[in-house]
Amino acid sequence: MNKSLKEKLEATFKDIQTTVPEDSRVAVTARSDSVPTVLRFLKDLGFDHLALVSAVDWIEEDVFELCFVLTSYMQNDDEVTGREKLHVILKTRIPRERPQFKTATGIFPNAEPYEREIHELFGIDFEGHRRLTPLFLEREYEIPPFRKDFDTRKYVEDVFGNVPSVEDNK
Amino acid sequence: MDRNQITKWLKAPAKMANKYSLHAVYFCTGCGIIEVPPVITARWDAERFGVIPVATPRQANLFLITGYVSVKTLRAIIRTYEQMYEPKYTVGFGSCPINGGMYWDSYNTIKHLDKYIPIDGWIAGCMPRPEAIFVAVTHLWTLIDKGMADGYIRYRENYKYYRRNQQMALGKLEWPPLYSLDDGPEGNKQ
Repeated sequence: MNKSLKEKLEATFKDIQTTVPEDSRVAVTARSDSVPTVLRFLKDLGFDHLALVSAVDWIEEDVFELCFVLTSYMQNDDEVTGREKLHVILKTRIPRERPQFKTATGIFPNAEPYEREIHELFGIDFEGHRRLTPLFLEREYEIPPFRKDFDTRKYVEDVFGNVPSVEDNK
Repeated sequence: MDRNQITKWLKAPAKMANKYSLHAVYFCTGCGIIEVPPVITARWDAERFGVIPVATPRQANLFLITGYVSVKTLRAIIRTYEQMYEPKYTVGFGSCPINGGMYWDSYNTIKHLDKYIPIDGWIAGCMPRPEAIFVAVTHLWTLIDKGMADGYIRYRENYKYYRRNQQMALGKLEWPPLYSLDDGPEGNKQ
């Protein structure tokens, strides 16, 4: 399955790299503008479950990498087919300056909370996302806290270290 | 009943009744709450010590804070604590409420919980065993006997400073002050 999937992907899309790191894994690297097409294509192939959307901050290369992990509920299931479940990881890179990306919620509605989380923690804007409101964080941060240039120790000293203990006021 | 304690019962019956009926508010924060179900059920049976969990803070007088406190949880902790009736006792469970524990440099975790609400006792460790809860409860009995479990009194007396610290961590507080913030001659002393 993964061999034929690799061939199918490479026959359909010109500008993607596909590798098979393990038997049950297929890693696809695509350009950012072709990601929605690849996602739609994979969904039509039976990968109907978006398990995770994640982001990585490659600060030295000045890019963010977005990862979409896809698998399927029934097809490729080991109980149905007798084989191990196949996972597809789709990676793409976007520039770190003013990061923007097209939302995947039109294809997989369950991408919504993942994209909200990435928006909040990495500051990536998802165009077309209906609800990019705060999800976890309580306070405002100058730099989104999961970026590599966010200095957590300095932040902790500035914010929590400055709170005096109550005994000091007596 | 323990015959040795009869004099204590006669001297301060309310204190003794308080001591042996600690009702813990069933409030879950962090990973330490995983230790609480075995503690309150058949394996360790906290009712031997008179500790049972209750559903709402308005019926409770013991507050176990069982793990790291995120900024969002701090808001819930303060509101829960302020709803409990006096006398009320708080115990921090695990390293994280003490000084942040392994989250000492986290951007979103409260480091010293006793800056925001008063704490009567700490259980150190990551994770403490369920037996540590019972050690803490027996220590709390001693403290109540000696009148040293006075967190709720300290909260009232220093409410101005606690409220200021809470505002520093949470920004604007959307609930009114529990006690007066004025500096009267006696403050909030009773």
